[in-house]
Amino acid sequence: MSGNLSELVGRGRVSRRLYTDPDIFEEEMKHIFGRVWLWLGHESQLNNPGDLFTTRMGRDRIIVARHEDGEIYAFDNRCTHRGAEVCPKKSGNAAHFECPYHAWTYRTDGSLKSVPLRKGYDTGFDARVDALALEPVARLDSYQGFIFGSHAADGDDLQTYLGPDVREAFDNFVDRSPDGTLEMTGGTTVQRYRGNWKLQIENSIDLLHPLILHHSAVDAADRVDHGGREPSIEWDTVKANGLSFSEWDELHVAALPRGHCWMGGFLTKAIDEDAEKAVMDENGWRVLQAQYRDTMIAAHGEERTDEVLAFNRHNTIVYPNLLVNSRLAQVRILHPSAADCTEQHGYIFRRGGAPERMFEASVRMVNANNSPSSIVTSDDHEVFERIQEALEYGTSEWLDWSRGIYQERKLEGGTGGAGTNEVAMRNQHRAWAEYMAAEYMAPNNMADDTAGA
Amino acid sequence: MNSSFERWHIVQQFLFHEARLLDERRWDDWLNLYEDDAEYWMPYEWGQKSATDHVSLFFEDKTLLRMRIDRLKNDLSPLEWPPARTNRHLSNVQITEDTGDRVTATVYLAFVEYRREEQRWFSSRVTWSLHTEGDSFQIAAKRVDLLNCDQESGHLRFATPM
Repeated sequence: MSGNLSELVGRGRVSRRLYTDPDIFEEEMKHIFGRVWLWLGHESQLNNPGDLFTTRMGRDRIIVARHEDGEIYAFDNRCTHRGAEVCPKKSGNAAHFECPYHAWTYRTDGSLKSVPLRKGYDTGFDARVDALALEPVARLDSYQGFIFGSHAADGDDLQTYLGPDVREAFDNFVDRSPDGTLEMTGGTTVQRYRGNWKLQIENSIDLLHPLILHHSAVDAADRVDHGGREPSIEWDTVKANGLSFSEWDELHVAALPRGHCWMGGFLTKAIDEDAEKAVMDENGWRVLQAQYRDTMIAAHGEERTDEVLAFNRHNTIVYPNLLVNSRLAQVRILHPSAADCTEQHGYIFRRGGAPERMFEASVRMVNANNSPSSIVTSDDHEVFERIQEALEYGTSEWLDWSRGIYQERKLEGGTGGAGTNEVAMRNQHRAWAEYMAAEYMAPNNMADDTAGA
Repeated sequence: MNSSFERWHIVQQFLFHEARLLDERRWDDWLNLYEDDAEYWMPYEWGQKSATDHVSLFFEDKTLLRMRIDRLKNDLSPLEWPPARTNRHLSNVQITEDTGDRVTATVYLAFVEYRREEQRWFSSRVTWSLHTEGDSFQIAAKRVDLLNCDQESGHLRFATPM
């Protein structure tokens, strides 16, 4: 692609082409998704040798498996012979992967185990066997049990890539389990929208929009008559969007190196304030929270428990596509499939040693927020689709991202601002420009003539 | 007790009535068909056993359903404009259990929705638990098993119950 793509990001503005241009999307798949650390899954999905799951890195289909040597491996879900998918399962256990087309068979570390009628190949085949393994993800690493992969052989290690503020979100995720374990389970919500992936990561740190865009949902929540019973956790989740503008502004937003960011928590605020007015049911969520706190105190003592539970953030966004929420025991990942099509996958976790109904709370919250039927995020996705349609036409090039540009605050390790400051989106766009301007190194050696003589 | 044919006819007419209320967006009349502790469930997994240890496409009690229809009704959201036009085609109506007081009925449902230049449709199997209430019924539970519930590429948003 010719021209300097970083020029599409200006001071406080970006070109609409970032969202619509299919050629730019192809460059993003190489320069961003083809280079950074992308979240693949959680170690609790791979307890035993042969355990596996399939996922995506950008558009690439990836198998992640625990091999008999106890190590985790990740590689393309594509036979090196003719390209057929070798693992049709979402998750499970396998001794090996056999291609359904010509029975090339691979071990769970991705290496080629056998091909039928081997005598049909010349003696040089033995020397090529290593190169015919399922294409490995160049680098693989875990942080706090969360598995990441990168297509780039070189670059920052995972801990450096995440940085201290993002690592804290994962630390707190684990710290909130009384026994220190997490289990990723309970299925996946998948919301698809016909819009660019960046619309969602901008939206997830945008604290000006909830009171406006989600007004109809908040208003419906306000009109609910609970009939003297404690509100449900789903109701709390919807209602929490109804903070006033000044309350949203009081929350803090932090913009970090490499495009990451986080925002202060708002659910606690809304729920705690409602709790003062609300009735507490014996089997309600507020009593459950107290029971959970007791299990934490039993495991860690009161001081440490208060410290862990005081960590009050909502989304921590790991650029380009991961949203981490330790308080809800939830992560979301964006899988872009085209410039104008994105899937958002939501995952939840069971906290080891916590009351079982804490997991039900996570299930109910992800239903309310991230099921395709959510009355909150449905409005986000509807507006994304209208943005996408509108950006396809017209002559004006620029979108405005200047809110709060003179009110940014310097912080240790980044910048920040009041809740409605667009500093975090500008930071995402800056990271985008830097990635797109950098030289792209193909992950595999395309020049290598593996066909031999 | 009616003959089984009459019973089948009465149950079927009730289910048609519910579909009509939804298609005509008569939201309050529709919700009045539901008992106070009714559950509306659309599982994520084919054959899903529980709604409390696994995510669902819909898992709503009457309060959450009321919140949902309130929002559709009051037209506060410009994003719900224009409202969807829908047809619910019911077929293969069967009564699978009938104790007199309690009826379980299943149908195949084709849900067709038109909105903003797009028509989409879904096929599902729907199961109702009904309580006999005089000449009619109250809905205790409705479960909608979407044929493509667990489609890997996910779903665009669902605004209304099916």
